[in-house]
Amino acid sequence: MIGTRATCALAKRELIRQTRQPSRIIASVATPLLIWIFIVGGFSNSIGSVAQSDAKIGAYTIPGMASLTVMFASIFASISLIQDRHDGVLRAALVSPTPRWSIALSKISAGSFLAIVQALIVLLTLPFLGVTITPVGVLGAIAGLVCISVALIGLGLALAWAVDSTQGFHGVMNAILMPMWLVSGAIFPVEDSAGWLKIVALANPLTWAHISIRSSLGMDTSYNSLIAWVISIGFALFGIIVATATISRTKRTNS
Amino acid sequence: MSSINLKEIRVVYHSSKSAERIALDSFSLQADREMLALLGPNGAGKSTLLNVISQSIIPGSGEVITPSSRESVSIVFQTPALDELLTIRENLMVAGALHNLPKNEINQRVEDIANELGISDRLNDQVRHLSGGLIRRADLARALIPHPSVLLLDEPTTGLDIDARRGFWETIDRTRKQYGMTVILATHLTEEADHADRVVMIRDGKKIIDDSPNALKTTFGDRIIRVNVKSDSDADDVCRWLSQNNIEYLSLGHLIIGKNADAAFASSCPIGSAEITIAPPALSDVYTFYAQSVVSESDSGVLS
Repeated sequence: MIGTRATCALAKRELIRQTRQPSRIIASVATPLLIWIFIVGGFSNSIGSVAQSDAKIGAYTIPGMASLTVMFASIFASISLIQDRHDGVLRAALVSPTPRWSIALSKISAGSFLAIVQALIVLLTLPFLGVTITPVGVLGAIAGLVCISVALIGLGLALAWAVDSTQGFHGVMNAILMPMWLVSGAIFPVEDSAGWLKIVALANPLTWAHISIRSSLGMDTSYNSLIAWVISIGFALFGIIVATATISRTKRTNS
Repeated sequence: MSSINLKEIRVVYHSSKSAERIALDSFSLQADREMLALLGPNGAGKSTLLNVISQSIIPGSGEVITPSSRESVSIVFQTPALDELLTIRENLMVAGALHNLPKNEINQRVEDIANELGISDRLNDQVRHLSGGLIRRADLARALIPHPSVLLLDEPTTGLDIDARRGFWETIDRTRKQYGMTVILATHLTEEADHADRVVMIRDGKKIIDDSPNALKTTFGDRIIRVNVKSDSDADDVCRWLSQNNIEYLSLGHLIIGKNADAAFASSCPIGSAEITIAPPALSDVYTFYAQSVVSESDSGVLS
């Protein structure tokens, strides 16, 4: 299929780049782990009572920290589009005969792979926190995290396509993604939150992705996991469609 | 049939709701297996023209005919389009995949082109560790991987020193003959345009002139005269003197350039302190003459 070779080659390029700048991986994993340590250390006594009965606050927040890792990795993956534009690599790809969706898909696939590898490091702390995990459960959690990374990279690529500076990109992404993550059941249960907050959280696709991950890992949730999976997969597909549609547009000038 | 055939291309950029800029206006161009230089100042429309040819932008009106498919058009940008974290070989592999070439084929072309450009021994070096001249050669290798029939060069020697620049042009001359390519060079440097078979001068999105460098220089005669004076009144006197002797001239403040002059004529200059040079015309003289002529006509409300 036309574009498959290009997609694979561009994705491989992303992976090679990653291995040659390990600081990116360290930053993506270290930041959520530090946030997790401070949140758990600071709040476990005061909000432990509202956490679900079978999961202490430490274990409860791990899926959220894994998604935060994915979020940071996704921002790095999509911001690379701006760097590619400045370096000229993107221009070379755009004037080549390869279909533009292959540019989007290569970023999404390689970015998601890297994000999941990093998130797994966080997820695998669960057994040390008293949570029993199974291979099937981990696979389910990975699927949920893939939905998050695909969606966020897709939306990030669409934004990076329109924004010319990394500063502007970071500003917009932080303004959108951090509130989304905070109101997604990542660090407190949606079930126990105030009425208005619960409405906001349930309108947030990240909330449903967290429910998917928690249900896969056998953590209690009072929401229907099937609905959660449908919304999560829909969120991922939305990201792919937005990214490919945005990047596929050729600049047309006026007559 | 030409490799490239553009008919009445018009491109307008909108910077805001009200402001618009005509980048190309009724621009037509044909080229086939030759080296054509697009010569013009910054913002003249050269890069826009390359973008139209490479189909990066779709013009508002006009017709772009490239009989060869898009796979046969490659471009070398002002800055190299290489990933600095990758090796030259890895960059070339990506370039081949972007043109849907099978891996074996790419490997063979990488070796052949690297040999041709003298970068075989640096193929496994990361680009960030290379000198500017080597990076340019690697970038040219990237553009040659698909064996293009049309190679677009957008001010490709920006940032190179004299030796690296000379090396780059030697490589271009050699490879264009080997691959039988049509080469379109966008530049504002007349000495680079002098390499071309044809020079198309552009200003404000319009074609000013289209001819070979030698033919353009011939229109200025065997010799031109350059007169440098120190005051406006001296410049007026020199202009009057040239005019009385039926010599077509261009006044650029205190520098006056006249066509078809000889050494004997120079001795009759009315300004004793003037610095006078009689020399064969250079492409820079031709460019200055025509570019300024258009500005003058434009200023007076008459567009050429």
